[in-house]
Amino acid sequence: MKRAGFTNVWLPIALLLPQLSIIAIFFYWPAGWALQSSFYLQDPFGFGSTFVGFENYTDLTRNREYLRIAGFTVVFCGLVTFFSLALALLLAVKADKVIRGAKTYRTLLMWVYAIAPPVAGFMGIMFFDQRNGPITEFFQVLGWDFKLGVNYFDTATAMIMVSVWKQIPVNFIFFLSGLQSIPRAVREAAMIDNRSAAGRFWGVTFPLLAPTAFFLLIINITYALFDTFGIIDTLMKGEPGNNPMTLVYKVYLDGFRGNDLGGSSAQSVILMILVLALTVFQFRLIERRIHYT
Amino acid sequence: MTFFKLSTAAVAATLAATSVFAETEITWWHAMGGQLGETVNQIAADFNAAQDDYTITPVYKGSYEETLTAGIAAFRAGEQPNIMQVFDAGAATVIGAKGATVPVQDLLEANGVAFDINDYISGVRYFYADSEGKMIGMPFNSSSPIMYFNVDALAAAGVSAPKTWEEFQTVTAPALKAAGYIALSQSHLPWIFTENFMSRHNLPFATNNNGYDGTDTKILVNNDAIKNHFTSVLDWKEAGFFEWYGTGWGDNAKPFEEGKVAMWLGSSGSFGGLLQKDLGFEFSATNLPYWEAVTTEPTQTFIGGAALFAMAGKSADENKATAEFFKFLTSADVQYFWHQATGYVPITEAAYEVAKADGHYDRFPAAEVGIQQLSLAAGENTKGYRMGFYVQIRDVMNREYGRILTGETSVEEAFQNIETEANQLLARFAKTQG
Amino acid sequence: MAELSTTSDTLTTAKAQPVRRKRIKISNIVDHAVLIAGAVLMLLPVVMVFLTTGFEDTDILRNGLRIDVGPHMGENFSNAMFERSGFTEAITGMRMLTNSLILGVGFALGKIAISLLAAYAIVYFRLRFATLAFWIIFTTLLLPLEVRILPSYEAIQRLGMTNTYGGLIIPLIASATATFFFRQFLMSVPEELAEAARIDGAGPVKFFIDILVPLSRTMIAAIFIIMFVFGWNQYLWPTMITTEESMFTLVRGIKQIVAVLEGGTIPEYGKSLALAIIAMIPPVLIVVFFQNWFVKGLTESDK
Repeated sequence: MKRAGFTNVWLPIALLLPQLSIIAIFFYWPAGWALQSSFYLQDPFGFGSTFVGFENYTDLTRNREYLRIAGFTVVFCGLVTFFSLALALLLAVKADKVIRGAKTYRTLLMWVYAIAPPVAGFMGIMFFDQRNGPITEFFQVLGWDFKLGVNYFDTATAMIMVSVWKQIPVNFIFFLSGLQSIPRAVREAAMIDNRSAAGRFWGVTFPLLAPTAFFLLIINITYALFDTFGIIDTLMKGEPGNNPMTLVYKVYLDGFRGNDLGGSSAQSVILMILVLALTVFQFRLIERRIHYT
Repeated sequence: MTFFKLSTAAVAATLAATSVFAETEITWWHAMGGQLGETVNQIAADFNAAQDDYTITPVYKGSYEETLTAGIAAFRAGEQPNIMQVFDAGAATVIGAKGATVPVQDLLEANGVAFDINDYISGVRYFYADSEGKMIGMPFNSSSPIMYFNVDALAAAGVSAPKTWEEFQTVTAPALKAAGYIALSQSHLPWIFTENFMSRHNLPFATNNNGYDGTDTKILVNNDAIKNHFTSVLDWKEAGFFEWYGTGWGDNAKPFEEGKVAMWLGSSGSFGGLLQKDLGFEFSATNLPYWEAVTTEPTQTFIGGAALFAMAGKSADENKATAEFFKFLTSADVQYFWHQATGYVPITEAAYEVAKADGHYDRFPAAEVGIQQLSLAAGENTKGYRMGFYVQIRDVMNREYGRILTGETSVEEAFQNIETEANQLLARFAKTQG
Repeated sequence: MAELSTTSDTLTTAKAQPVRRKRIKISNIVDHAVLIAGAVLMLLPVVMVFLTTGFEDTDILRNGLRIDVGPHMGENFSNAMFERSGFTEAITGMRMLTNSLILGVGFALGKIAISLLAAYAIVYFRLRFATLAFWIIFTTLLLPLEVRILPSYEAIQRLGMTNTYGGLIIPLIASATATFFFRQFLMSVPEELAEAARIDGAGPVKFFIDILVPLSRTMIAAIFIIMFVFGWNQYLWPTMITTEESMFTLVRGIKQIVAVLEGGTIPEYGKSLALAIIAMIPPVLIVVFFQNWFVKGLTESDK
């Protein structure tokens, strides 16, 4: 660290101790345990276990269902990220423009941030109910025989819609604060250079928002990967059946419902590697971003 | 000093308290929610009131899957309950882990409770037993998949409940459709249309004597009889005779309760709940239909539901209490109470006799269907099945059946997938036991 | 946040002037229409759920969600809060609310305390293993609890901490998000302050308590709000770690509610929806009332 600071020897150790010990016990130990048990197949009660090498991993790569879930996870992340970013950006641009009621709009558009994903999922169950859900009825008017929990595609649609709804507020907050930090001089210059509002937006505002958008991209992918667990779990009402699910949900399902500790641990390790890659990517982006701004 | 004094006083007080009420306390983790849970609590309260030596505390732990997982976790932490309820699909996991439980037969005999497996009705005797026929888990809430029907709907269509699937598709279903009903829905495809399809037709479900004789087991689900059945189900769905509302139990039961669907395949344990709901039409029940083309001598079904396991690692006193509770639970009166309140079958012949003598089946003929079906002729493939990672195997079935019924896959391909994935899971499970 | 919205107001005024009057009106109407549509999209679902609590279970079962006012709201909310029976048999909404508060507040306070201390140690002390400590701590940023749920659960189980508040809260604290944020903040504090303190003869403890903590007050408040909401809304971890009903949080209770909807008995829709509303109220109120701090904390914690 660049600061010279204090020279006390034991105090900083004492200050760091709580954090380090919690991390050791609840982070490094579990992570190591996951790695180790991913090479074993073990009886859930802890009586038998067999070392199987990389078999838990090769079983996964051969399992068509796992690959299908991986595929769905990618599509799900992509769609949730795209729609929640696009809608939030539209709302943020408008909220940045209006004078009257700006603050009220901001409050109304951000408060859903505080709703827990499973609560949103529970609301989804009511709205997409097979018999009398308002959204189901709306789709039926459009000629779409929508059936939550029956058709894979329909259930996926419901999961994506609820996940997007829940994520718009965060993106909105970031976009709005990004827009408001664009200097006045830049805006005035843009006003003179570019007559059309659309041209101004794509030519000036959007590039200036790009760093925020890049950052949000990572935030949203992480959200779609992990935080949507509660939405997915509630919308499938505890029965996986023929319902779409994400990789994290599969880790939970195999480990916790199926008691397949080895298989679930191998999936955890795969996810860890995935997230590691994502984070390295994120750090590089932020580095570059700091460079630009 | 003060602290020390206080704590010795507290210890003394506790000791005094325990010596006054010298009751052995045991816990029972179960998965019986709602009305079933209330009945469980009632049984526990009755046991506590009936004697002064033991106290049992029932604890609701969520769904069957959640209860099993919670029990495993607790066992690994050395905090297991005395009694744990494990459902049919989890039987291989808990029985495979030798040392996790005390076989109920040993427990009862060691504590001087008379035990004869022949006291139990034939359908429930061996499902939770080992390959030598020793009872490991005490069958508790035992059910059988039966066909409920809307009496008014069948009368309106001028038909009676079908005995065979041939009758269903040529007579019953077309008439019900003409009368404005969807003829049939069901609530659990792996249980009703797979496991019990096998036992009803006396077909082998897995190698190794349905899995009882070893862990190197292969599933035998990819056979023509069941593939033809699912092809027919798909045809029925297209003809408007059958509807599928998803994997959830309640989603498929509701249309029957609302009077849209005329016949519903559910559990004999659903009886109490249906009675409570005051459906607005008269309902009754009958045996699960069979295919005459497959067999002319249909056999009994497997029991569904769950069993109670005595967890290992408990003191002799507590085991004694558990044995006493099991004795109480299997007594004819308690079994009859449980049967009346829930619709689950009485597990002993004696309790069945009490129910008959009391006129229960004269009042509710439908209540007898489950136990009658479990008492039908047995076959070499009807005592049960024992497969590891069976929770996942059921999930695979549910997924593939969902795909068949939504047109995402063919019957042929679906059963190919089920066979492949189930055998992979079985092979993996065999290694966990090593 | 006041300063942000003022700048935005002046900006929009400045920007609006050169454009012709009639066009402003049309585009203004479009802007408001889009914003109102967005607000309705956010608001309407929750309003409908809230209004539906005014009806009886059988009515909701038959007719689904409502947009009119019904007479049973008070009854459903009081059942949700105080009735013992029903889907969980042994727990009231009040108890779940208490558990949720303990989780939310305990998590937020625990995380702030531990992170602030660690960040202080890293920024203000000459430590031989500072870089190592830094990396040990910041690696945790890489792996959210969700990817290591099973092993974390295993750890908690071996420590016998299932169904305890400690088991619920502490593993959630084992990540460095707040440490990272406090480190950034402390590094932006002028270096002269520490110098001055040292010249005055103030020790590190006094400097921390008398100068740094008061200086970080706004940051602490912002982090508290974000962490409270994060803790309150936890679902997967409480689902695994609490199997005893008396330990359920409101959000964990949603799982039980959904299970009962699928079960055999008549689902208690009114009570369930009321519980969903109760589960929203505290975090929503905090976010709405302290939104300036909240927005500041959220948008600045990434830098």
